[in-house]
Amino acid sequence: MVEGLGVGIGWRPEIDLTVERLDVDFVEVVAENLHADRLPESVRVLRGRGVPVLPHAVSLSLGGADPVDAHRVAHLGALAEALDAPFVSDHVCFVRAGGLDSGHLMPVPRTREALDVLVANVKAARADLPVPLALENVAALLEWPDAELSEGRFLAELVERTDCLLLVDVANLYANARNLGTDVGRFLDEIPLERLAYVHVAGGREHQGVYHDTHAHAVLPEVLDVLRQLKERVDPPGVLLERDDDYPSDAELAGELAAIRAVLA
Amino acid sequence: MTRPQRERLAARQAELLRALLGDGAPPPGFDPERLRVEARVLLNKRRGIVAMLRPDVADALGEKFRPLFDTYARAHPRQAGSRYREDAAAFAEWAVAQGELAPPRKRRWWRRAT
Repeated sequence: MVEGLGVGIGWRPEIDLTVERLDVDFVEVVAENLHADRLPESVRVLRGRGVPVLPHAVSLSLGGADPVDAHRVAHLGALAEALDAPFVSDHVCFVRAGGLDSGHLMPVPRTREALDVLVANVKAARADLPVPLALENVAALLEWPDAELSEGRFLAELVERTDCLLLVDVANLYANARNLGTDVGRFLDEIPLERLAYVHVAGGREHQGVYHDTHAHAVLPEVLDVLRQLKERVDPPGVLLERDDDYPSDAELAGELAAIRAVLA
Repeated sequence: MTRPQRERLAARQAELLRALLGDGAPPPGFDPERLRVEARVLLNKRRGIVAMLRPDVADALGEKFRPLFDTYARAHPRQAGSRYREDAAAFAEWAVAQGELAPPRKRRWWRRAT
C-alpha cells in the first residue's frame, strides 16, 4: 500500500548539513518545530532533490481524554501540504491531562474504554487531515494496572477501526519487551503489517535495570534484531533512524544507517 | 457518545500526571518504583530543555541549578498550553524571588549609559 521509501533519518536543525550529506532516501521532521510558511533552507534543499519529507507530530495527544486540538491538526495538515508529504504521523499516547503537560509521550491504559476514546480522537484528526495518518507505538516505563488487551491487539484494533497506517518503532518495542515484558513475536504477529508505513529505529541505554529509549546513544544490536524479526514477516517500505541529542560524527550516523541497510538486504 | 468514557479516562490520566509531575499521591495499581523512575525521567527532560533555553541561568546557578530546578518543578508542574520558554522564564523569576539568582540588569551593553 505504501510505496518504497528506503532508509532515512530524522532531520533536526542541529544536524541539517549532516543530513544533506548522508546517503538517505527520505527524512522526517518534527511537525511542531516547523511552520509551513517558513520551511528551513535545508528542508527546502532536500525537497528540491526530491527527498520525501514526512511530518511527524508529538503533541496531538490522541490518547488523551480531551477532544483533539483542531489547531494542532491544522498545523500538521498545512505542513503535509507544504512538503507534499504522502502521510503524517503521531503516537498512540497522551501528552496532557488535568491541565498539565507531561512534556512526554505517555502510555494510555489498554482498556476498551480508552480505545473507544482514542478511536474517536483519531477519526476526528483524520477527518481534518489532507493525507493518511500513521500511528506509532510508544516506549513506556510504566504499565497501567488494568490492561484488557495486549499491546499488539490494542494497536491492531485502533488502526483497523480508524483505517490508519502503522508506524512501528522497533526501539520502543524493544524497550517495552525489556521493561514491561512485551512479547516481541506476539506483538509483530498481532499487528496488521499490511498497513505498515515505515519503521523507526533509535538508540538508548540501560540505567539501573531499566532500558531508556534516549535517542541520544548508539542503536543496540538487540534493536536491530527486532527489525530483523519484523523483516522476516514483511519487507518494511521504509526504515528511519531517529537521533535527537548527543549527535555523533557523520561517520557514526552513516555506520548506523549502513547497519540498518544490512538488516534489510 | 464517548462522554462517560472520556470523563473516567480524564480522571485517571490527571491522577497519574499529578503524581508524576506534582505532589499527587501515587495512583493505585502502579508499580511505585516505576512511578519514581518515570517522574525522574520527566523531570530530567524538562530540566534539560530549560538548561538549553537559558544557559545563562543554568551557568549562574552552577551546582545549585539542578536541586533548585527540581524544587521549582515539583511545585509548578508545567501547565497545558504553556511553552518551554515561559517555563524557563518562570523558573528564572522564581530563582530571583528565592534570592538565588541576581535580578536581570536593566542596562544592556549595547546601550549607551546616560
